[in-house]
Amino acid sequence: MIEVQQLSGGYPDTPVIQNFNVSLERGEFFAMLGPNGSGKTTLFHLLSGRLSKTSGEVLIAGTPLEKMRKLDKAKKMAVLSQEVQVSFDYTVEEVVRLGRYPHQNGFLKLLSAEDQRVIDEVLNLTRTEQFRNTRFRMISGGEKQRVLLAKALAQEPEILLLDEPTNHLDIKHTFELLDLLKTWQVERGVTVFAILHDLNVASLYADRVALLHEGRFQDVGSVDVLRDEEQLQHVYEVNVRTQPHPDVAKPQLLMVPKPEDAPLEPDDFRRQYSIEQTTGHVHVTFNAPVRAASSSVTGAGIDWLKHFCNFHVEKHYNSESPAEDVEMWMNELDIPPAQAAGMMTAVRTEDAVFVEDERHGIRLLAAVTAGVGNAVDITAQDTNVENFEVGTINMMLFLDAHLTDGALINGIASMTEAKTKALHDQGVKDGATQTTATGTSTDSVLLAATQRGEATPYAGSGTAVGRAIGEVVYEAVCEALKKYDEREGRA
Amino acid sequence: MLSKFIRMSSRTKILSFYAAALLFTIGAALTGLMISSVVIPIPTIVHILFEKSLGLGWLQNVEDNTFSIIWGIRLPRVLLALCVGASLALAGAAFQGLLRNPLADPYTLGVSSGAALGAVIVIFFNFTIVGLGDFTLPVVAIAAGMGTLLLVFGLVQLSSRSLAIETIILAGIIVSAFIGAIISLIIALSDQNSMTQIIYWLYGSVGMRGWSYVQLMLPFMAVGALLLITHYRELNALALGEDAADHIGVNVKRGKVFILVGASLLTGAAVAAAGSIGFVGLVIPHLVRLLTGPDHRHVLPVSMVVGGGFLVLADVLSRTIIAPQELPIGVVTALIGAPVFALLLVRERLGRSVRP
Repeated sequence: MIEVQQLSGGYPDTPVIQNFNVSLERGEFFAMLGPNGSGKTTLFHLLSGRLSKTSGEVLIAGTPLEKMRKLDKAKKMAVLSQEVQVSFDYTVEEVVRLGRYPHQNGFLKLLSAEDQRVIDEVLNLTRTEQFRNTRFRMISGGEKQRVLLAKALAQEPEILLLDEPTNHLDIKHTFELLDLLKTWQVERGVTVFAILHDLNVASLYADRVALLHEGRFQDVGSVDVLRDEEQLQHVYEVNVRTQPHPDVAKPQLLMVPKPEDAPLEPDDFRRQYSIEQTTGHVHVTFNAPVRAASSSVTGAGIDWLKHFCNFHVEKHYNSESPAEDVEMWMNELDIPPAQAAGMMTAVRTEDAVFVEDERHGIRLLAAVTAGVGNAVDITAQDTNVENFEVGTINMMLFLDAHLTDGALINGIASMTEAKTKALHDQGVKDGATQTTATGTSTDSVLLAATQRGEATPYAGSGTAVGRAIGEVVYEAVCEALKKYDEREGRA
Repeated sequence: MLSKFIRMSSRTKILSFYAAALLFTIGAALTGLMISSVVIPIPTIVHILFEKSLGLGWLQNVEDNTFSIIWGIRLPRVLLALCVGASLALAGAAFQGLLRNPLADPYTLGVSSGAALGAVIVIFFNFTIVGLGDFTLPVVAIAAGMGTLLLVFGLVQLSSRSLAIETIILAGIIVSAFIGAIISLIIALSDQNSMTQIIYWLYGSVGMRGWSYVQLMLPFMAVGALLLITHYRELNALALGEDAADHIGVNVKRGKVFILVGASLLTGAAVAAAGSIGFVGLVIPHLVRLLTGPDHRHVLPVSMVVGGGFLVLADVLSRTIIAPQELPIGVVTALIGAPVFALLLVRERLGRSVRP
């Protein structure tokens, strides 16, 4: 639909764009990204015909841009840019009517029935019908952009050029506008060429993105272009991290500010936390948030947290909403649930085992409660999951290390291996099958790291971190099982 | 259904504005023909108009004297006021739309100063061009006005390729100021007689011009008005800014040139025929926009009609207030126009604070 070949152009003396090539398919949403001064706007003006090229070719549906009559160009291509100032008090409909300019014929160029039909349609589509007779200057910024979109759509274009159309809009209006655009693009097969400022918005709406750097394409491709952190850092000169969107299969970017605090001395790990142990709960508090990966009742997933709790519950505790209960107990203890991970266990919290040590050069703290009335061999065939007795193994492990997300998951696997080995060595059996148990039916695990020092990409058994995790978790679980046996024996 | 109803009713509303404007102007014209030192009854006036133009008179024994007062003196005067007022109001509406500035008027670009300079030079040197006779002054004035427009254009072209609005306004102001200085210089150098003549001319008048001035003005007015009215869509599009106008397919540069030339023709002809009459081009489009909304499709023709009627009434006032002497018509329009404009400003602010 749009074919750009060896395009060069810009301002006299400074050819901002040099030897530029790109080809847009009909019906695709193409987003141009790049920092200020990368040439986005110049390229945009070259495409809209506002600036003349110095060499190269721009073909619109096969026709060279400079050979098109202005009216024909306006029938093919509409532009939506940042908020424009409208002089005089035109009504919304009068503004939208201007979009019919290229379609009006005859000597008097009056509005035809077809013009009016299109105007009604785009007003309806952009949900601006109710402002039809309102003065344009009186509506809000988001509504103005919708009206200007209606004007652009009234041109019935095959191509929409967007120049940062959501620049002044809040989040709601940004997404409203882009949703509208996306609908129109998909339904009508309109080709969209957009300059977008917000990389995350571009990732969500674009079919293809291009990264412009100093007048040249740094990269063009699917939104995976936005997964290349190094390249983004090179182009934008900020520390960028990329993350998957939790619900949509697209990347989202996170900017990292310059570090604020000087790194802490390595040997004060013990002063970073305090432990509270009562008959009702275990509560580990860190002075600063640590990065934790967990399968706990609340605060599960990966997050930065300060409080780690393990609550004791009755043997036959049964609740529809355990997470709400945990949050309620936290509130009673003045622990902010948003900064906390919470587990629960029927095991007596007085029997919790704490290991504070340094292994393989890594300082760590483990907090484990174990009960195995419920022990299960996850590989056995006829395990009765319904069976509920006292017992769950809750493990929390805190490292003074810097783990990537991959290392956190790797570390959790290491913890699980060590736990299973401990169960094996302690002779814990699945009650139903009498095979060696691999865990209980409701185990929770949490691994947290202070994120100081060099980042470690792995935490398996082949690494120092992995070895440290394995040793400490094994010891702590064995110790906790012994305490459990003692209490069960006494009982 | 509802929207269709609203559209229908807004169409009738617009039609009623046109009707009201026409009635106002016809009324003004009849008043202008009726009132002066001798009041002539309207049936007689209508009879004379029909008799003279179509040969369809029905009244007996109308004196020859009355005939010549109406046909020879008052009608050309009223028609000239109509033409000048219509031209100025139309040019003002176009300039305001083009320059996207509600304070613009036909004099912003210096065309009127140029025309005035031409006229002043003719009065000062008291010359006639062979073959033109009494037409020397208006012809020179229009030529000087056009020359000024070319000068302004040249200046703009030299400083910015794209005919940027800001540059046009600045160039107009500079050229006007310079020409104003030359006019002052000429006034300072002239003797008592020509000084009075020049100053009186500058204040403007539509009296004692006769049919020839009307005939002189009509072609310029027709071309200018046609140029502007056929470009109403471009004027509307320019309200969004030049980039946005370009994006909907408007040939912005060509449109601007046509509108500038059209408005300048109107202004130059009006100034050449009647001197610099202020405030018509500023106030009338404002008033009209309040009624019809900003759509130039209606603002341009309605301004033209109302502007004509307004200047006829202003002329009636100018010759009756201190009769048998006459006030310069420019004084009357300024005395009416300035307070009205001030009122519009205040009203706009009040209106804005009342409406949500």
